[in-house]
Amino acid sequence: MNPRISVVALGLSAAIGFAGCQKVQELEPEPLKLAVPDHFPDPIFGTGETAPTAAGFELGRRLFYDPGLSVDGTISCGSCHAQVHAFADHSVALSTGVGGALGTRNSPALSNLAWYPTFMADGGITHLEVMPLAPLMSPVEMAADSEHLMSYLKSHPVYPRLFQNAFGGEPTGQRLLKALAQFQAMLVSANARYDQWALGQIDFTGTEQRGYDLFVAHCSTCHTEPLFTDFSYANTGLDSVSADAGRYRVTLDPLDHGAFKVPNLRNVALTRPYMHDGRLFTLRSVVDHYADGVIVHPGLDERLPGPLGLDEQQREDLVAFLETLTDYEYLANSQISEPR
Amino acid sequence: MAVLAVAATVAACNKPEDEPTPTAELGSFEIEMEYTWGMDGSPFVLSTPLHHPMTGDTLTFETFKHYVGNVALESVDGETVAKADAYALFDASEPSSLVLRVSDVPEGDYSSMTLTLGVDSARNVSGAQSGALDPTLGMFWSWNTGYIMIKAEGTSPQSSTGSFAYHLGGFSGENAVQAKRTFDLASKGLLTVRTDAVPTVHFMANPARLFHTYGSVANGPNVHMPGPAAGTMGQDFHSWIYLDHIHP
Repeated sequence: MNPRISVVALGLSAAIGFAGCQKVQELEPEPLKLAVPDHFPDPIFGTGETAPTAAGFELGRRLFYDPGLSVDGTISCGSCHAQVHAFADHSVALSTGVGGALGTRNSPALSNLAWYPTFMADGGITHLEVMPLAPLMSPVEMAADSEHLMSYLKSHPVYPRLFQNAFGGEPTGQRLLKALAQFQAMLVSANARYDQWALGQIDFTGTEQRGYDLFVAHCSTCHTEPLFTDFSYANTGLDSVSADAGRYRVTLDPLDHGAFKVPNLRNVALTRPYMHDGRLFTLRSVVDHYADGVIVHPGLDERLPGPLGLDEQQREDLVAFLETLTDYEYLANSQISEPR
Repeated sequence: MAVLAVAATVAACNKPEDEPTPTAELGSFEIEMEYTWGMDGSPFVLSTPLHHPMTGDTLTFETFKHYVGNVALESVDGETVAKADAYALFDASEPSSLVLRVSDVPEGDYSSMTLTLGVDSARNVSGAQSGALDPTLGMFWSWNTGYIMIKAEGTSPQSSTGSFAYHLGGFSGENAVQAKRTFDLASKGLLTVRTDAVPTVHFMANPARLFHTYGSVANGPNVHMPGPAAGTMGQDFHSWIYLDHIHP
């Protein structure tokens, strides 16, 4: 779309400018390399035409953490996607939007989005660049509209220059979305104990290894390594009739009623509560659901024949394995933290 | 100083690579949309009760917007010109929006024009677009990727809720709302693009057509997602858009 971003290879000349009292780092549209881990497949987003630039990424980062994008200036993307929780919300089932409004689905943890073919629990969104429209425009989340966003960004003391640096022009909806996509594409979590084990750098403990073997036997058909999702949709027997239509809302196929996208399990120990509506508060309770809580009904996903019937030790082992998916480097990475 | 030099370099690199070579002189033309209501030539006006001749409904439109674009031309010599980026969001509440200017068109006599009525499928799934297709303009579903290609909202005493809201989109399969249609310019005297004039290709559309197959708003005052209802309404509207005349 923007030939400059993909073609130009300028030396990274960072200048420090001042706008009002705020210090702003000016970055050229230097291509940023999306680090593709050795054991990962090729990403869908973030290379070629959609490759992030330093300036686009930093603009996106600032936008991600800016509550000014919400209609009343109270809610940012980061409000419900906190780095300390691997970009899930702060251990609440449902997130609070503007004016105290509550949503209906649990805020998902964000990582490795550059590999996602679809977004949201029902997979209704098919491109990373248009994903932020959902939280930005939802009346129970940020409740923004084009008029609010453009007047906020264009009259802001700093943003017009950041947009100029990143995209060679003034703030537009397209550029706002592209910047947010560039930031989010760089949210790569790939250095958990699991990854170090997968790359042959460490050994699992006994319980972790037993948990991994159980995981491969019972879970990894859908929670496929190394992204820990195959991006399919599954009705996992939480309810005989789901209150949330799930994937049906997008496909109108009755077989999809109550089916939700298989979630990425990376950092899952930090992203409680669980399931599409946040009904389960501990990892153990999720394992218990699959062990003996699955409701068998005609809509149940065929890959899940019914309760797995795990014993106490097996349940503990599975939780121990799931805890190896925590990537502390990701939680501490200051490159993706709220700008200071 | 260094920053300025870099900025100048960047601007120079920013020239589109596919800029036409200056072998032909370039001109412009405009596509203009005008609305009528029903088949008897009544004007289509917002905020005014309109009687639907077929369903008998009384409909007061407050919003009527739709997309047209992806312009392609063929000249009498068989030369083709594609302006895939040329898109308009026609908004009945803003007369200035009812003209789509197409620039950098080689001089020539064009005998046919192909348009996408709605938004072509590729642009529904290729990320954030610009201009009229900017997805923050309220014409892109935030929860289900794709454009609202036609938006018609208003009130009607025949509606169970008193109002109606038809957000018509869906770009794939048999319920796709968009239609690619080729219009014969030769029968209207050719589109003659020259550097010294801006001709106008004048189209007519009839929002009453939305209800041609769908029927009364009593059949459902809201359509908010792709599906058979959106496909039927959208296709009925698009199928009736016609080329009325060309101002040289």
